[in-house]
Amino acid sequence: MSAAFQLDGVTCRFGSLAAVDDVSLTVEDGEQVAFIGPSGSGKTTLIRAMNTMLAPDAGAVSVFGQDVSSLDTGELRRLRSEIATIPQHLGLVPNLTALQNVVLGRGGQRGTLRSIRDLLMPSRADVLEIHEILDRVGIGEKLYSRVSDLSGGQRQRVAIARALFQEPKALLADEPVSSVDPARARDSIRLLVELSTEVGFTLCVSLHHIELAKEFFPRLVGLRSGSVVFDAAPDQLEGSQFSDLYELEDHEMMTDA
Amino acid sequence: MSAGMPTQPLCSIIGSVGIPADKLFRGTSASMNGSRYSGRKRWTVASLILVFLVCGWFLGLSPAGLIPPDASHWDRTLAFFSAALHPAFDYQDANVPDSADPIWLKGVKGLLATIRYALCAMSLAVPTALVLGFLGSSAWWPEPRSRLADVVLRAVYLCCRFVMSFARSIHELIWALLFLSAIGISPMAGIVALALPFSGTLGKVFSELIDEEGRDAAELFKAIGHRPVQTFLVGIFPLAFPNLVTYTFYRFECALRSSAVLGFVGIETIGLYIQLSHEEFYYREVWTYLYLLLALIVVVDLVGARIRERLHHPTLTWQS
Repeated sequence: MSAAFQLDGVTCRFGSLAAVDDVSLTVEDGEQVAFIGPSGSGKTTLIRAMNTMLAPDAGAVSVFGQDVSSLDTGELRRLRSEIATIPQHLGLVPNLTALQNVVLGRGGQRGTLRSIRDLLMPSRADVLEIHEILDRVGIGEKLYSRVSDLSGGQRQRVAIARALFQEPKALLADEPVSSVDPARARDSIRLLVELSTEVGFTLCVSLHHIELAKEFFPRLVGLRSGSVVFDAAPDQLEGSQFSDLYELEDHEMMTDA
Repeated sequence: MSAGMPTQPLCSIIGSVGIPADKLFRGTSASMNGSRYSGRKRWTVASLILVFLVCGWFLGLSPAGLIPPDASHWDRTLAFFSAALHPAFDYQDANVPDSADPIWLKGVKGLLATIRYALCAMSLAVPTALVLGFLGSSAWWPEPRSRLADVVLRAVYLCCRFVMSFARSIHELIWALLFLSAIGISPMAGIVALALPFSGTLGKVFSELIDEEGRDAAELFKAIGHRPVQTFLVGIFPLAFPNLVTYTFYRFECALRSSAVLGFVGIETIGLYIQLSHEEFYYREVWTYLYLLLALIVVVDLVGARIRERLHHPTLTWQS
């Protein structure tokens, strides 16, 4: 099995609303994929189904060849420790330092007691490694800064560093650029794609910014109302397909107004 | 207004609150025509005042209760409050031997004993409260869990909640009386009497402070394979930590006051000296001790403020 993620007819419902509606999708190992679509198109839900945090109401999710629904708690935890996630809110602990936040990235592999030790007195080897990672993402000097003292862009870097320290086989990032200015957004996306190539992990990013997605990703998946509208390389797509994606339907316009 | 006859206390209270009864009524009924929100607010205020009046009526409450009933009481009141302006710098009691500590040293020693009791009690209460607060919260429960695990967790949860409620529903003074009657005056009795209700209160507030924290980080740690307890310890507890420290400091202040009050049942803290001097009508000595206690509380408050500031708005990190 070489597929990192395999989704077969996945449907996730919230009440009567199908946030993800009968999606089938395969992401190969080492692939770089961008999910694009307007807000409410199901990008976040799709990512939560892929990182196993949301069990689909119908269909099956396989990650690295393992059927998620067949795993017991321990196996599921082990699988999750191989998938890094950067949620939209980043999920950082603001009153801990960058170092402390990043070292917790490996908590899934290390267990409870070791994590407490890591927080209170991190090993020298870890500190050196984390410093190197923070250097790579551009904020090496922020090793001992509290996350609450960092800017939005710097916080994002901390979240990326935590994902890297996890040494994942795949990284899922949900709208990683929604809270920073365009120049920084471009830098962050470039960084994620470079790292994915460099380290060799699978990368799936949800984006509403089409230009960035076209520039950096070899494969784009368009989502609308929870369904896949297109799934192709950027040069195979026409401009009208993108504008269709963002054109509001009548009932959407009413609810958005 | 005539002095409070038990038969007419309600009128005198209404007079003393300064709201004529008819105006009270008009205010609430007029608000029914206003916005729902302000109407509700007025109803709330009005019903709180009503509750106060009803309770006061049952208690036979009257402002006259604050006025000393006769001349000898007047004298004593005057003596007590004028002593506030002349705290004693030497013993008022002529029988105190010259070899005894000067009064300020006795007071300071009493304060040190008060601090020791409070510190020992808090040293027992904080770890107990952390354990009880952890077991009495549901934030770390694994999801999903087996039926058996669910039953066990719920049982532990309810037990801890009950223990905390029980420990704090009995005042430290009553705990002290219970222990003193059982084992006599011993320092341990005082400390355990303080530690019990303090663990109950700390534990309850700890678990509430923890439950108030956001779950964003916890959700992320769960998603990258952390265990439930681990998620709680690294993703939720650190968020609540500054608030826990702040609250612990506040409770330490309370523990100081409570440990002083334990002097009234015979435990040797500054409260004992206050009580002994008060019994002999040595009011100036009483005020000396009270001022020392006040100074201690102010110092603790200042130190606490510095620590809070460091925790919430750090200017330096520990490592730099």
